[in-house]
Amino acid sequence: MATESSAPAGGTSPTPIARLRNRLEGPNTIGNSRPFWIGFALVLAALVAFPILGAGTGNQFSLFLVLGLLGLSLSLVWGYTGILSFGQTVFFGVGAYTFGVVSINFPSPGGITGAIAAGTLAGAVLAALLGYFMFYGGVRDVYVTIITLVSTLVMLTFMAQTAGSEWTIGEAALGGFNGMPGMPLLTLGAEGVFTFQFVFNEYEVLVPFLGTRVFDPFYYLALALLVAAYLGLRVLVNMDFGRVLVAIREDEDRTMMFGYDVKRAKLVSFTLGGGLAGFSGVLYAARNVYIDPSVFELYFATLPVVWVSVGGRKSLLGAVSATIAVEYLRLSIGGEFALVAVGALLLLSILVLPGGVVPWTASRGIPWVRTDGIPWIRKRVRGDASSEVTES
Amino acid sequence: MSDSTGQESLDVNVRQTAAEMATGDRTDTLLQTDDLVKTFGGFTATDEVDFSVEEGELRCLIGPNGAGKSTLLKLITGTLSPTDGSIFYDGHDITEMEPNARVDRGISMKFQVPSVYGDLSVRENARLPIQQFADGEERRRRVQEAIDAAGLTGSEDVDASTLSHGQQQQLEISMAASLEPDLLLLDEPVAGLSVDERAEIADRITTLNEEAGIAFVVIEHDTEFVGEIADRVTVLHKGDIFREGSIEEVESDPAVKRIYLGSDEDSDGDSR
Amino acid sequence: MMQALSQARYGIGAVVVVGVLFAVGALTTPNLTFRISYAVSFVVLAAIGLAIIFGIMGVINLAHGEFILVGAYATTLAVTKVGLPLPVAMVAGALVTAVFGLVVERVIISGYVPNWIGQRTVGRDLITPFYDRLADSMVATFGLSLIMVQGARIVFGNSIDQIGVPFGSTAGYPDYRIALVGITAGVLALVYVLFTQTLFGTRVRATMQDEQTAKALGIDTERTYMYTFAIGSGLAGFTGALFAPLLSMQPSIGDQFLVEAFVAVVVGGASVVVGTSLSGLLLGPIDALFSDEFGEFAGRIALLITAMLALRFLPGGITGLIDRVRAMREGGS
Repeated sequence: MATESSAPAGGTSPTPIARLRNRLEGPNTIGNSRPFWIGFALVLAALVAFPILGAGTGNQFSLFLVLGLLGLSLSLVWGYTGILSFGQTVFFGVGAYTFGVVSINFPSPGGITGAIAAGTLAGAVLAALLGYFMFYGGVRDVYVTIITLVSTLVMLTFMAQTAGSEWTIGEAALGGFNGMPGMPLLTLGAEGVFTFQFVFNEYEVLVPFLGTRVFDPFYYLALALLVAAYLGLRVLVNMDFGRVLVAIREDEDRTMMFGYDVKRAKLVSFTLGGGLAGFSGVLYAARNVYIDPSVFELYFATLPVVWVSVGGRKSLLGAVSATIAVEYLRLSIGGEFALVAVGALLLLSILVLPGGVVPWTASRGIPWVRTDGIPWIRKRVRGDASSEVTES
Repeated sequence: MSDSTGQESLDVNVRQTAAEMATGDRTDTLLQTDDLVKTFGGFTATDEVDFSVEEGELRCLIGPNGAGKSTLLKLITGTLSPTDGSIFYDGHDITEMEPNARVDRGISMKFQVPSVYGDLSVRENARLPIQQFADGEERRRRVQEAIDAAGLTGSEDVDASTLSHGQQQQLEISMAASLEPDLLLLDEPVAGLSVDERAEIADRITTLNEEAGIAFVVIEHDTEFVGEIADRVTVLHKGDIFREGSIEEVESDPAVKRIYLGSDEDSDGDSR
Repeated sequence: MMQALSQARYGIGAVVVVGVLFAVGALTTPNLTFRISYAVSFVVLAAIGLAIIFGIMGVINLAHGEFILVGAYATTLAVTKVGLPLPVAMVAGALVTAVFGLVVERVIISGYVPNWIGQRTVGRDLITPFYDRLADSMVATFGLSLIMVQGARIVFGNSIDQIGVPFGSTAGYPDYRIALVGITAGVLALVYVLFTQTLFGTRVRATMQDEQTAKALGIDTERTYMYTFAIGSGLAGFTGALFAPLLSMQPSIGDQFLVEAFVAVVVGGASVVVGTSLSGLLLGPIDALFSDEFGEFAGRIALLITAMLALRFLPGGITGLIDRVRAMREGGS
């Protein structure tokens, strides 16, 4: 009965916590036990505390959190729906540029909020259009992947030649390879009532026992948004709709024969993925106060595939943790060897662990992760029900 | 082993809905194809076929290999688009309709190759078709009924890929039946099964047909099995209907025997 | 012989038509004709190696551009460091790439070497072959390409000395580029002969059609795949060798070829010779004309959009279209 509910059977209404866990847990995510959530809370606390306690200000790390959203978007689209998309960075980039254009033209806090919405929407709309073109046109499997790859190249080629001054939308110059200058600093709130600047606005905080520490509000914003996205997606993939997506991933034709509108489901998933990627792009642009066409480069387009392949594309947790880990490694190694390392990582992960690291560790029975949650790594049980799946 | 209580209550649901949908006596035509043609490049798989099924009928579709039986079924479900001709279901022209829309209207199919979702548990498999139209307690009940009817009580959390071939077939029939179809198409449901398993499936099919009023089109090669379940038999040969009639009529027809042995004749006995 | 000729009547007809067009164009508007022919040659030569590997093995080698790089660098270094004459250096470049391809095939694509090691150490295969795993092969070979590009940069630096362009020019257009047109035709002819007239070619086509049956007939399909990959790599290397005098030798030149090759293979479909050549004849002019009118970027975008439209409206590419046309004409009987 693990997949149905964690509420006590027979009459008593579930507690709010149990109801919440009901929504968050299910066969499509790792970690459906109390030890998991305790661990999760601990990790979250560590992430909150680390910039204050640690040496850094969390400034660099906030980039990884932002990219985590991009990784989640590919996990949804590829890991859960089975659509390998090399185009998430297209939506990412379009979201970033849209944010730039709108926020430069409307630099007030209200305008910036609108820019965030516009960027996210741009990613979603573009994904919807491309998705419609592909899925309703009957394009399938690897040809979908190829089209997404081609669309990335189209964006790169197009944006690279927008350096001229005629490429300006309102006050915002697209700038070609020079990038888009003049973005306003991310400031949210209501003009005249209360506004807060999130970027380049480090606060000095006097922490007991540790002295003065610098704290970066953008880091906490990014962390909050990433956690919200992760939890939101957990709910989505464990819902009925999420199960349909998994069924589509496993066997599209069969799922159609159960009466499901597969094209529409794929389009919805792809659009959501595009919106999430666009949102990630918005934050990326806001954080750097800058955007250029390097986000459309082929190398960057494959990074989400690397993150998600290494971490486990069918696992949200795997996608997020691998994004952070790989990016951290990549930027630590830096320089020429970073590319070699990324290439090697990609190659090795496809060759050796096509399922990804996190699901693999989960299947090895790491005590804090219950194995009966994930269908594809559930310990094989023989046809009779007498052998119980081991409890953690 | 089918749990008869489970099977009955599953079928009560199905029967009630089927009764609501029936619009009169049981000899209404449910499915009708009109000069249906399907060609693949130069090869004609379906050759101007007029195939019809009555409400509540249990039809078996037989014929030598390559006769076009699976193709015909796929045309009916919409997996394949016809090159020419039309298909009518329950009085409506469904020729242009998407497969999932046809399922909504009452056509359901079990593929030739067993295709349960291997990485999902039995329960998750059974839940997938049902979650569209039942919630909460009713959903749980109907999922359990479907599992029980397939004889898989107690194996709910087992990975479907570890089930035996026969168990997978039973699960698939449950899943297809849980859509409450009026017409259920089965492509070789007993291929590769033991004698006992065949008997169980034959039982299942006849029960669903008699008690729930579901019409069936079953492709099978086993003449004994066909004899057990069929109301009528359609013989397909080289893409067209060769003979149609009761099992006795068809079995005793020497021309039918000849086409199985590889003769080239058409339904009038002339060489093609 | 006559039967073979009559079956090839469409192909021969097409070749004659193209030849006539080229001759007429060369006499009337030489510069435009040469530019378009060069663009077509570029696309075809870029694609042929990739087409062989994709069409026959069902593997998408995104490191294809880097294989071309290997050929180009090997040829250049053979001339500048070893002092070989250019034609010999080109052959050497192609061979080096073929050997490199062999190694990649054994270690990564088929997993033969890791599995051999695995069997002797832990008693099981370590890697599943990449045949017909289109998406996985794309991802894995992209990883390979990153390693190769950066490897080249680390070992050879940001560029190496270029070799000079041989021959002179005709009507203001470099002779070498015109010669490339003939070489392209030669390469296509060679590939055609290889796959239709040799025993090896027959084995390859049998394996392509139905691997199980081919094996049952005694064909060593693993070996066939290995040689096929080596040949595809060798051709990529030859392309790199041919273009070595024309391009500045940087680790990034692979990208230039990859896009064109990729698009051409995707638009062309599974047939190696027919698909690639027709695809080249379609995409070359599109690229050339758009580039001339609107600049290099526009040419690129035009190609890419053509690819997307082809993927959407022509499943199976040009090969699929031809199959359908042929079936319709024959099915009418």
